[in-house]
Amino acid sequence: MSKNQHDRAHHAKKASGVGDPQCFRGEAGQAKFKNGDMVRIRDLPDIFYTRCQVYTRGAVGRITKVVYESPAAEDEAWDNTDHPEWFYSVVFRQHELWPDYPASYKNDTLETEFSERWLEQA
Amino acid sequence: MSDTHKAAPMVDEVSDFEILEMAVRELAIEKGLFSAEDHRRWIEYVHTLGPLPAARLAAKAWLDPDFKKLAVADGVKASLAVGIDWINGPPTKFGTPSDYCSFRVLEDTPKVKHVVVCTLCSCYPRTILGQSPEWYRTPNYRRRLVRWPRQVLAEFGLQLAADVEIRVVDSNQKTRYMVLPLRPIGTEGWSEQQLTEIVTRDCLIGVAMPQPGVTSNAKRPVHPAVHPIHTGH
Amino acid sequence: MPSPSRSALMRHFDLVGQLQPAYHQPQHAPYPDAIDHAKYRALLRSSHDVGGEPDVPIEWEEKEEEQWEANTFATCECLAWRGVWSAEERRRRQNVDVGETQYLALPYYGRWLLSAARIIVDKQYVTLTELVNKIDEVKGRYEQKSAR
Repeated sequence: MSKNQHDRAHHAKKASGVGDPQCFRGEAGQAKFKNGDMVRIRDLPDIFYTRCQVYTRGAVGRITKVVYESPAAEDEAWDNTDHPEWFYSVVFRQHELWPDYPASYKNDTLETEFSERWLEQA
Repeated sequence: MSDTHKAAPMVDEVSDFEILEMAVRELAIEKGLFSAEDHRRWIEYVHTLGPLPAARLAAKAWLDPDFKKLAVADGVKASLAVGIDWINGPPTKFGTPSDYCSFRVLEDTPKVKHVVVCTLCSCYPRTILGQSPEWYRTPNYRRRLVRWPRQVLAEFGLQLAADVEIRVVDSNQKTRYMVLPLRPIGTEGWSEQQLTEIVTRDCLIGVAMPQPGVTSNAKRPVHPAVHPIHTGH
Repeated sequence: MPSPSRSALMRHFDLVGQLQPAYHQPQHAPYPDAIDHAKYRALLRSSHDVGGEPDVPIEWEEKEEEQWEANTFATCECLAWRGVWSAEERRRRQNVDVGETQYLALPYYGRWLLSAARIIVDKQYVTLTELVNKIDEVKGRYEQKSAR
């Protein structure tokens, strides 16, 4: 079997002076969602690697910020950077996430980021 | 749980980790993956990092409402005002590989208190805050803060009214966060320097709130290193 | 009989906390029909995804950094700087590929270091033979020193 050739200069060339994730600007096309949208977190198959926390799956939250374009972590983790996605910051009510969250702390929230593949309209 | 009653090892004893570390670094340099100079430069770069710039950013935001607006809207741009260039500051000139260039300042209000965790690993805004504390990296903190934030904050000495919104921010992707805490009463007329001094690393993570006269993190046990860092660079 | 010191008592509490009943599976490599959806999900889980799992209150501690830990951090960042891997590849390897047992039982920077060793072998910059020989050689330097 032959040896793989790795292009070690690729990311530095792309991102030098520009930054990461700035270097992926314009590559994700049209954002599917916008600020204020209510979204549900999809429970995609969880095999080998994910950065979409299991504790968020199936929960409904509100998009609070459209943050940047980048390859999804699940792809970037294997250096597959050809298809960046839009990333969103989503806020959940804690009592939506945890059935045993104390009712007296009714305003508590949690915020975390998702790449677009993990979201569907709620 | 730190094991402080173990006998101190002999000075010459070298651990398996130390042996492997040398082996990997030497091989990487021999194979041209990075240079010895690269490695030295990175060590020196890390030595320049610490919580002071983030503390100054907080103080500036307290003193200037327009700067506060900028800090909340564009953390990377606001960082330039405290001498931190997320993109060109690190030796890479594209941000640090692990901390990226997406920085958000989370503004506390009387109604909203932020606290930061990375449940998946220990992502932390090193570029403006320095290295993360040990407790922040523990599976324990990462398991519990997202689900029992009030209990965990109480262990750090913080208790907030039931109707305050505690917002746990889980930095699971490329964005890195600092908390812009509430400016405490009793600091009227203070200079930027005086205000900077009371914004500790723990305040910037969100597990403490700034107080006049408190200029360091709460005292905790410190697990000693067997072979600590040489400071004579 | 002298009364136990308070610190000996605290060590006792730590030790009894480590005694746990263990219901082992009688068969390693079970038949497929023994694995339902819940077990499958649990077995394939990403070990780093710990948010929301129960745990007990502990005393929060700081830690003095070891020189080898600082060196490891710089090695990992330099490998990414010079394009051997990205930080995200590192995290996948270091926080998930290591598997559940190493994830929980190795020191934090131990996983960083093992992952750096693994990447240079996986991407064929170094053969495992070369790595093994280098480790052996480095060990030999320290054995020589302490044999003085």
